Amino acid sequence: MAGRPLGRSLAPYIRSSPTLTKLFTPVANWYASGSLYRQYGLLYDDLLIEERPEVQKALTRLTPREAYDRAFRIKRASQADVLHVPLPREQWTKPEEDVRYLSPHVTQVEAEMQEREKWDTLTVMRK
Amino acid sequence: MLASQTRASVRIARRSFATVVENAGFKVAAVDSNQPTVSVTFLAKAGSRYQQKPGVAHALKNFAFKSTADRSALGTVRESELYGGVLSSTLSREHLALTAEFLRGDEKFFVDVLASVIASTRYTRHEYEELVLPTMESEINALHTDPATRALELAHALAFRSGLGASLFASPHTPITVGDVQKFAQTVFAGDIAVLGTGISQSTLSSLVSDALSLESRTVPTPAQSQYFGGETRLESYGTPQTLFIGFGAPGVPSPELSTLAAYLDPNPSVKWSRGSSPMLQAEQTSVQAVYLPYSDASLVGLLIQGPNAQAVTMAGKAAVAALKGSSGVKAEELKSAIAQAKFRTASSVDGRAGLVEVLGSKVLAGLKETSVEASLSAFDKVTATSFKNTTAALVKSKPTFVVIGDTQTLPYAEELGL
Repeated sequence: MAGRPLGRSLAPYIRSSPTLTKLFTPVANWYASGSLYRQYGLLYDDLLIEERPEVQKALTRLTPREAYDRAFRIKRASQADVLHVPLPREQWTKPEEDVRYLSPHVTQVEAEMQEREKWDTLTVMRK
Repeated sequence: MLASQTRASVRIARRSFATVVENAGFKVAAVDSNQPTVSVTFLAKAGSRYQQKPGVAHALKNFAFKSTADRSALGTVRESELYGGVLSSTLSREHLALTAEFLRGDEKFFVDVLASVIASTRYTRHEYEELVLPTMESEINALHTDPATRALELAHALAFRSGLGASLFASPHTPITVGDVQKFAQTVFAGDIAVLGTGISQSTLSSLVSDALSLESRTVPTPAQSQYFGGETRLESYGTPQTLFIGFGAPGVPSPELSTLAAYLDPNPSVKWSRGSSPMLQAEQTSVQAVYLPYSDASLVGLLIQGPNAQAVTMAGKAAVAALKGSSGVKAEELKSAIAQAKFRTASSVDGRAGLVEVLGSKVLAGLKETSVEASLSAFDKVTATSFKNTTAALVKSKPTFVVIGDTQTLPYAEELGL
């Protein structure tokens, strides 16, 4: 599934098993805090590659508030990047703030595109 | 020969829904005249008079056939296309009609589509912004280039203010959100829905509907009784015909006298391509339409005049006012022909499928015992010269509804026409 904007993920499989969830949650948390995007005040969904029709469509479906906040976070992070200094600690993204605000929209747009493809290439059989 | 005669008699006999069955919160009525296509209409009390916020009924009308729990908006359209059916939603001041027309044999699919629109439309924000709002905007733009429809919208607002006065269209920059639409849908789709079928038997339709969904049979709150107010308004508009509406409204159940009055006022000749000699037509310079709009508890009668310049419209308006004021002095033979015309119009309106559903559907939904057109036709036999004169005299005594759209500098005021 290399062609999809969200890429391959083992998360649903891991979440389906309590044992695996228990095992992987500390590792996942450590990894997320280790990758620097939270220190630059970004959310994980701000890192999704934008240059795809699915994501472009999904971005139009954000509420005005979500779109504004996203633009603000990206500008703030760009400025911090130019200065080569992470943001002050109180502006870091807290783990509970790191919600997937965009990926549900992307998944939905993807499903819509797949459905359109299905109807466009349908073969009708007479019963 | 005999066969064709029999069919004709069957057609006359079946210009009505024979029985109305209450089924799972629905009133189901059907008439089958062996036509090759079937239509099923879900008629809900969701017209603009039931809306809590202006424009929400318009939004709900355009939300029909969007994604539901069963299938997406695209899926609904593509699947109906494969079956060769037509889906439509129609809004009036009292009702919202969701209609499917299709070939015999596909009843199950289309009843299911209509039922899922009622029961499980998802009212998503992105569909509202991407699909519903653009359609509403184009309908509103079309309204703004059509002064005749606009004049009637304004006339309703003046005549009835709230309730029936609410416009069928949202305003261009509507504050309606998808949450408002969903809330409105929950109130109006909870009960009080009539299912009307043509080309399908009552029992088939009944069982299909009860398989598809059941309602809680809650009733939609009854709106306040309509009152007539009247008034005058003028709207500047360029590039459209000069438009003038002169009308009167009457509260209460629409009477056959008012229908007769509309037929009496109509100056258009009954023979196609012939020239009307009425002064209202100004030697074919202006076009005149007699307006008669009956609702469940009020009606609006009037004349809609359109012309290329203000002078012609003013002259035609004077003639129209004279006709309205002089209608109580009607001659016996004029009244007779007006009654015949009104009767013919009533009868021919239920000949078509859309008319049958519109005229008789509202009776089914109102829970009336009598759901045939014969009663409305026989009511015309009771119209006498005295009753006609009394009704029209009372009507023209009330405050007129006067709407002008076009060059407001030169178009006349109500009192200039003698109102």
